[in-house]
Amino acid sequence: MKRIVLASLTLACLPLANAAAETRHFAISWFSQATYSNDHDCSQGVHPAVEEVYLRYAAKLGATPQQVAEWRRKIMNGDEVRDLDQLIMNRGRIDGKPVNPYTHPASVVDLSLPGLDGKEGFGFDLDGKGADQPGSFQDPETKERGVDHNLYRALGCTRAFRGSLASRPTYWAWAWGQLKDSQPAWLITLEGADLKKDGPVTVGIDRAYEYLRSNSDGSPRFDMAYRVDPDPRSRNQFKGELRDGVVTITEHGKLRLLQNPLVSPEFNLKDVHLRLELKADRSARGFMGGYTPWRPIYWGIAGVGFGGEQQVTGDVPGFYHLLKRYADADPDPVTGQNESISATYYIEAVPAFVKDAGAPTPQVTRR
Amino acid sequence: MSKGLNRRTVLRGMLGGTAVSVALPFLDCFLNTNGTALAATGGELPVVFGSWFQNLGFNPGRWKPATLGANYQNNAEMKVLDPFRDRINVISGTKYFLDGRPLETHVSGVQIATMGSLPLGVNSDPSLDTTIADVIGNRTRFKSIEIALSGGRQSLSRRKGGAINPSEPSPAALYTRLFGPEFRDPNSAEFTPDPQVMARRSVLSAVSEERKAVMQRVGASDRARLDEYFTSLRQVEQQLDMELQKPAPMAACSIPEKIEQAEPGRNVAAVERNNQLFAGLLAHAIACGQTRVFNMNFGTQGLRTPGGVRDWHSLTHEEPIDPQLGYQKDVTWFIEFATKTFASFLTTLDSYKEGPGSVLDRTLVLWQTDHGYARTHTMDDLPILTVGSGNGRLKTGLHVVATGDPSTRVGLTVQQVMGVPLNSWGRLSNETSKPLTDIIA
Amino acid sequence: MSEAKMKKSRLIGAAVVVAVAAVTAVTLLPGSDDHKFSAGPSVTRRLTAEQYRNIVQDVFGGDIDLGGRFEPDMRVDGLLAVGASQVSITAAGMEQYDAMGRAVAAQAVDANHRDMLVPCKPASPVAADEKCAREFLSKVGRLLYRRPLTEEQLSAYLTAASEATRITGDFYQGLGLSLASMLSSPSFLFVEQIVEPDPEHKGGFRLDDYSVAAQLSFFLWNSAPDSMLLSAAAAGELQTRRGLERQVKRMMTSPRLEQGVRAFFVDQLRFDEFEVLAKDAALFPKFSAQAAADAREQTMKTVLDVVLTRNADYREIFTTRKTFLTPELGAIYQVPIFKEGPNGSPDEWQPYEFAADDPRGGILTQVAFTALHSPAGRGSPTLRGKAVREIALCQTVPPPPADVSFTEFENNTAHGASTARERLAAHATVPSCSGCHKIIDPIGFALENFDGAGEFRTTENGSPIDPTGEIDGISYRDAGGLGQAIYDNPAAVTCVVDRLSARALGRTPMKEERKWLRELRADFEKSGHRLPALMQEIALSDALYRVGPPKAAPANRLPPTEEIITAELERHHE
Repeated sequence: MKRIVLASLTLACLPLANAAAETRHFAISWFSQATYSNDHDCSQGVHPAVEEVYLRYAAKLGATPQQVAEWRRKIMNGDEVRDLDQLIMNRGRIDGKPVNPYTHPASVVDLSLPGLDGKEGFGFDLDGKGADQPGSFQDPETKERGVDHNLYRALGCTRAFRGSLASRPTYWAWAWGQLKDSQPAWLITLEGADLKKDGPVTVGIDRAYEYLRSNSDGSPRFDMAYRVDPDPRSRNQFKGELRDGVVTITEHGKLRLLQNPLVSPEFNLKDVHLRLELKADRSARGFMGGYTPWRPIYWGIAGVGFGGEQQVTGDVPGFYHLLKRYADADPDPVTGQNESISATYYIEAVPAFVKDAGAPTPQVTRR
Repeated sequence: MSKGLNRRTVLRGMLGGTAVSVALPFLDCFLNTNGTALAATGGELPVVFGSWFQNLGFNPGRWKPATLGANYQNNAEMKVLDPFRDRINVISGTKYFLDGRPLETHVSGVQIATMGSLPLGVNSDPSLDTTIADVIGNRTRFKSIEIALSGGRQSLSRRKGGAINPSEPSPAALYTRLFGPEFRDPNSAEFTPDPQVMARRSVLSAVSEERKAVMQRVGASDRARLDEYFTSLRQVEQQLDMELQKPAPMAACSIPEKIEQAEPGRNVAAVERNNQLFAGLLAHAIACGQTRVFNMNFGTQGLRTPGGVRDWHSLTHEEPIDPQLGYQKDVTWFIEFATKTFASFLTTLDSYKEGPGSVLDRTLVLWQTDHGYARTHTMDDLPILTVGSGNGRLKTGLHVVATGDPSTRVGLTVQQVMGVPLNSWGRLSNETSKPLTDIIA
Repeated sequence: MSEAKMKKSRLIGAAVVVAVAAVTAVTLLPGSDDHKFSAGPSVTRRLTAEQYRNIVQDVFGGDIDLGGRFEPDMRVDGLLAVGASQVSITAAGMEQYDAMGRAVAAQAVDANHRDMLVPCKPASPVAADEKCAREFLSKVGRLLYRRPLTEEQLSAYLTAASEATRITGDFYQGLGLSLASMLSSPSFLFVEQIVEPDPEHKGGFRLDDYSVAAQLSFFLWNSAPDSMLLSAAAAGELQTRRGLERQVKRMMTSPRLEQGVRAFFVDQLRFDEFEVLAKDAALFPKFSAQAAADAREQTMKTVLDVVLTRNADYREIFTTRKTFLTPELGAIYQVPIFKEGPNGSPDEWQPYEFAADDPRGGILTQVAFTALHSPAGRGSPTLRGKAVREIALCQTVPPPPADVSFTEFENNTAHGASTARERLAAHATVPSCSGCHKIIDPIGFALENFDGAGEFRTTENGSPIDPTGEIDGISYRDAGGLGQAIYDNPAAVTCVVDRLSARALGRTPMKEERKWLRELRADFEKSGHRLPALMQEIALSDALYRVGPPKAAPANRLPPTEEIITAELERHHE
């Protein structure tokens, strides 16, 4: 039943039960929204600097043009603007009274900052509405059209969320930097008759007890051993297939993984799509898409507060309005507001040894 | 192999082959080239250590000299340091290692640069300036002076366990601290020998008294070895004797003009002005024997271009790379501003003359930064500079490449030449026992 | 040269004779001919860094921070333990000892430790108290000097303490400074052997009681004698066969024996070189500082398991598949070592046995050996082969010719060469190189399946690796065969007997001690190569305690050339 094979080496595990299946394990070593920012994807421009946004809020909240001009002069001069800071830190309004804008984003006036309107974006045609669906993307790698990735539309014109697979968006790089060392690793297990040939596979996505282990230079460590956490909330299995070294999921179910509350307590995805390339160096990379609830994404961003908003993310309540506007699935039966948003994540993974927490250690031998 | 072999040759061969750290002559501040002790009154002025920390680094490809070793040419972002080139060592290629700990951007790098390790709770390691101050700063009025150049009171100087030496952001306040009512003219003050040194000197007599008995006990071959031991012991005693004598008068000591008012450096103009004021104060303080260790934290808190909206840090993440230039334009303006500020600081120290030399001549400044490339928070190919020879303890004017090595090799080197008794420095992958022998004089 | 060795050199053939002639398995020193007994010279050893640490830990407890650095130890005839009798202390080193002594002493008398370590309370904390100081300094002095202080010595340290107390106005500071100076004294830093006429052999000399105790404890424990051993010395027991046996037996069953055995293997395997081991992180990202430390400990644990825990045949260290691994090492060995404890807990050692078809077996195939004897960026059959000869077999390999060009070898793929075997073939065409490379490279080829950081590989630069090799006429298919060949090689047995004896003596054995070495070797074989039995026999040997008279002239020693050779070869091949 279990046979561990390290692809590029002639290593195999002694069969424990039956020898019909071959298994390969990976630990996810990079996980973030898949972005493809370029010069032609925000026709109304990238969002202005956060200070400029603050001044717009100030105007909306009743500041006179003279006041706004004075603040602008001070900011330019590097002087402190404590009164503006106070106004901004309490820019939510409930019954006319100032409230915390990060915990009450719906109470903050919507500046209607634009979303992304480019043509290319990573992902999958989740709704099957085909190539000509308005607002859909073409995937830059597969060239598939009709790609649904509204999370990219919602956040894609904000500086902290712009980037490519190589130059990673600041927010996601920060988020993964927090996650990878502070939450148990996510594991991928592929099982099939012979993973060197095309054919059906099962794809397991689980959570480990251990954190992802890194090398001393910060790169992910190959061949570390992880135990699977038996907690049923993080056990997922999908039917899929392997073709030309690429694994895809063929039956699109739901995925649930516990995550770190710092970013989001859980990661949930439904109608899961996967495209995972198995690379010659035994690692893997690819994309995972589906619909995810958008409110947890907002709360993950909102955690940065006033300081993080200034230094990293930019206008936080603005994200609430953008996510809400671009949500494209799961309408609330009462309000009609969509509660989920189509999303695509980019994954990298390194080879690992994996066993169920209680199972005996498999023996490795070299043929 | 035909050369005559003796123990020293063997030792040298061994050291050369396996890169064991060569023990350094810590006594050289008291010895001339003949190895004889200098009279206290004619002795050279004591060594000074300074650290300069500039966050947000340089641009890759724009700072590293193209050639190795001596006579390197400064690259674009270091051009402004040309007047000091033959006194600067550039160390490139080193890294900060996280060992699986999370990367706290702009924090982890600072910690490794200053403490050699990421802190673990209350057992955090001391920053290297404090270990140096423990050796060279004991007899001055201030063990060290910490300065925050661009506002705030952030200080990178930490004692073991995390106690922080707070920074002074205001030149006026620093003036009062140094030259206010509590200042005493060092040349008119009474000299009182350090009781610790007196006590240390006195107990060593018990060891010297063993000499006769030991020499009688051992055979002739061992006698030579023990003779070397006793000679070494005698040198330690002589060093203590020197410390017990009244030091030479500080002929160059003068009191600077009073600084009435100077706001902390929240904008570039203030930073520029305060840098001059701080440098001047430090030069006077050193010349008057008030301190021998200083820490300049350039910081970046909220520093903006004149008329610009965004601060330096935000720009590193947000500013697009200029397609013509190939780098971030506004970020680079800041880098050049910071380096210019550093050059002006060095100029001020160098223009304060003490006899034939300057304050800078007896100073060793260690320049470090938090990231190799701030835009993507890289932790490798870090720029590190040392300025000055520290009274001839370091060779200078060299570009040394130590690709993939821990940055702590530089910190170890600096601490060792300053006399800190360390065999190795740093923890886990940042630990090293290999000083940069290329730059040790 | 031993009988077995002669046979071997004939086997290898003419080209190699040059090399092997330069090889001396044991450098034997001419002995004293002053009297009819084959007694060697007495030696004065500088404490090694490890011994200093052990003593501080034994005397003051394990939580004392040394806060200083040691002068480099020097390896002579394969051992730091022999070099220790030839080094002195430089001015810079003295400053370090002085600083360490003060750091240790300050902690010993600080508020956290004084109640435990100082057996009395001063009448006043701000004034000298000779009675209390005497009690403390005589107690500690006996342990540090490894014999009771003379009244003269004690009074000098008492004066020092009271004078320092007067200056500092603090009893404990004064006491601490006096203790610090004791830690800087030659009687502590050098292990002297004090010699007295031997009543049992007229005209002969022997170590005095306390020197016997030190000889024993530094050999078996790598530390100073404990109080019980000093008491036995005081009672003259160590000069009687029965008394000596009783103490050796006690010491052999002490947990400190492991410390002594470790020290021998750290020295013999040159693991002190781990201090300066570095790998190119870009090429070997798994080889972290933790991995290096774990790899060193893995081999130590493997050896200790064979020689102490299982008290098995010593030679099994070259073949055993049983070892111990951490999760960190598991990644390098590409075997699953799962954590047992909760997430975030420290990695624990777990016993692991490599399968019969695995190329890993014996310490020569472990990461510590293969990584230590490789340059920073790649593997090296030459350095590894040379290390096998020098470390496992106690042979010496001459240095390469001074004018040799290494450019061929440096360039990884020059002239289409992909593997080290192909690159080294270039050397075989140069007559001045081929003699030596023939006797070292084929040994190392068997380890080519392990890259420069010890990780398993089957190809180099895309070409398959051929791990066949040969040593002294015996061919084998792979690393496992190499381990077996060393297991079977009589030189491996002679080697450990000679080196262990040299360590016990603190010097290289002399010609006159050959007979003793032969007896040791024969008994070692009879015991089934049990190391503890060998150690016990050495510890009970007259050779350790009977010495020639104190000499007027330096001993006529061969120059210690080996380090030059090693250093130069490494430099050339770097």
